[in-house]
Amino acid sequence: MNFLFAVFSQAGRNLLQTWRTQILSLMTITLSVLIFSFFYLVYTNALQAGEQLGDDLRLIVYLDEEAAPALQEQYREKILKFDRVEKINFISSLQAFNRFKEQLDEDQDVLSDIPQNFLPPSIEVYPVRSLDTLSRIKRFSDYLQTLPGVIKVQYGREWVERFYTFIELLRIVVILSGSLLILTTTFMMAHSIRLTLLTRQKELEILHLVGASNSYIRMPFFLEGALLGLFGSIAGMTALYMLFNWIELRFAGSAMLGMFSFNFFPLPVIAMIIAMAIVLCACGSFSSTRKILSR
Amino acid sequence: MVDLTKVTRTFPPDVQALVDVSLQVNRGEILFLTGMSGAGKTTLLRLISGIEKPTKGYVEVSGMDLSKISRAKIQKLRRRIGVAYQDFKLLPERTVAQNIAVSMEVAYRSRLFIRKQTRDLLAQLHIDDKYNTRADKLSRGEQQRVAIARAVANKPDLILADEPTGNLDAENTELVMNLFHRCNEGGTTILIATHDSSIYNRPDSRVVTLDSGQIVATKLDTDKDTSEPMPYGPGTLLTDCLNLVDKNTSEPIQNKLDRKES
Repeated sequence: MNFLFAVFSQAGRNLLQTWRTQILSLMTITLSVLIFSFFYLVYTNALQAGEQLGDDLRLIVYLDEEAAPALQEQYREKILKFDRVEKINFISSLQAFNRFKEQLDEDQDVLSDIPQNFLPPSIEVYPVRSLDTLSRIKRFSDYLQTLPGVIKVQYGREWVERFYTFIELLRIVVILSGSLLILTTTFMMAHSIRLTLLTRQKELEILHLVGASNSYIRMPFFLEGALLGLFGSIAGMTALYMLFNWIELRFAGSAMLGMFSFNFFPLPVIAMIIAMAIVLCACGSFSSTRKILSR
Repeated sequence: MVDLTKVTRTFPPDVQALVDVSLQVNRGEILFLTGMSGAGKTTLLRLISGIEKPTKGYVEVSGMDLSKISRAKIQKLRRRIGVAYQDFKLLPERTVAQNIAVSMEVAYRSRLFIRKQTRDLLAQLHIDDKYNTRADKLSRGEQQRVAIARAVANKPDLILADEPTGNLDAENTELVMNLFHRCNEGGTTILIATHDSSIYNRPDSRVVTLDSGQIVATKLDTDKDTSEPMPYGPGTLLTDCLNLVDKNTSEPIQNKLDRKES
């Protein structure tokens, strides 16, 4: 009988003997994983939505006078020095006037007595679309304001700030639910293994007396923890996937879902969540056995 | 195989279970430890198996000083020592076969070996029909035989048996002693703590008697007992049966005890 076989058969025996406690632990782990991954899924989808909404995001930098080509190059360099951008457009007073005229459509005759250079020239800066950009946009705007010849910088400040607050709130919820997952899983596992160990004190004593090594005693519990983490997290992810599909079916065709594309986690993220649950449960079990066996 | 040098074991507050005990047990020997209850027999066996540590003195098993070796080495050593405890220490909710298998599983024996060895031992002890019976469903005598089977199952170098025939009738006592003798013929050293004179009253047995934690007498295997068998009955003293002598003064131990009483 090799070590691994002995460990697996011991773990199997443990699980069968204490299946009631194990089911409770499994349910706790499933719920913890479900809560955490639900918020994490909302968060990742909100980030995606933010990127989609940010398609029209641009900063308009009004200048006091037309920028000559040499000055345009200087502006371009200074802007790129602060952040990566997708596009920079220089709009002359005349171009601005023509745009305005087009927007007025049938009412463009109101502009007939107004000089064509009454609108200030401007620079349109299109930042790279990401949540980071949203978080930095205020600083970017403040920086642009400091450039020479700039009168005013405009962007959808209110929308950006509200969206950013929402994302920040979601980030806190994800961190809290993540911490909850870590605490619940570790403590639940440690507690359940501790209970098992206490009810099996006599068996552990006999194992010590017949010369069982610490790893022979500890490894089955470690494996037990890892197995509970594996099955608990798989159950949690399956529940979340079913919930996700139900929401998609239930709200199919609604305006909200039509605007954005919602996606489930990609496989690497699923694997990461499962691995995290396994590690946490194994750690909980390890710390518990170490405490009791070192007595 | 076992070497105790001036071993003292004191339990709080000041109970002296063993006082300055020195004892050597050679490889392949059978030694009987006798003495009244509380004389220190169990403590001596617990010291040899590394469960207890001496307050003073040295305990060496297979040339290793138990107070100096690591925990891992003690665990390894215990796999080479089979112990049959007075209170059996069986797992009540496990079957007989599972209880016996424990000592072999921790030594990573093959499943085939474990199954064969378990069946073989149960047959030798006449409890082969109890293979799948839970330990808590057995009588005291059957539980005792299971505990003995577990002690010898892993083919240890040393067997320590604490009152191994305490719950057995004459027939089963003989089965157990035959098993011990077969192990001994295979080279295993055996230490048996017992009150049962029928198992140690053999001319070739070495018997060590403990009293109040001290060795008061040793009957060596060279001390051939030529006297007539003593009629056993109420009032018969153990020392009468064995013709024990003080190891230091060669004075019959009975005289010493008589003097002590008067």
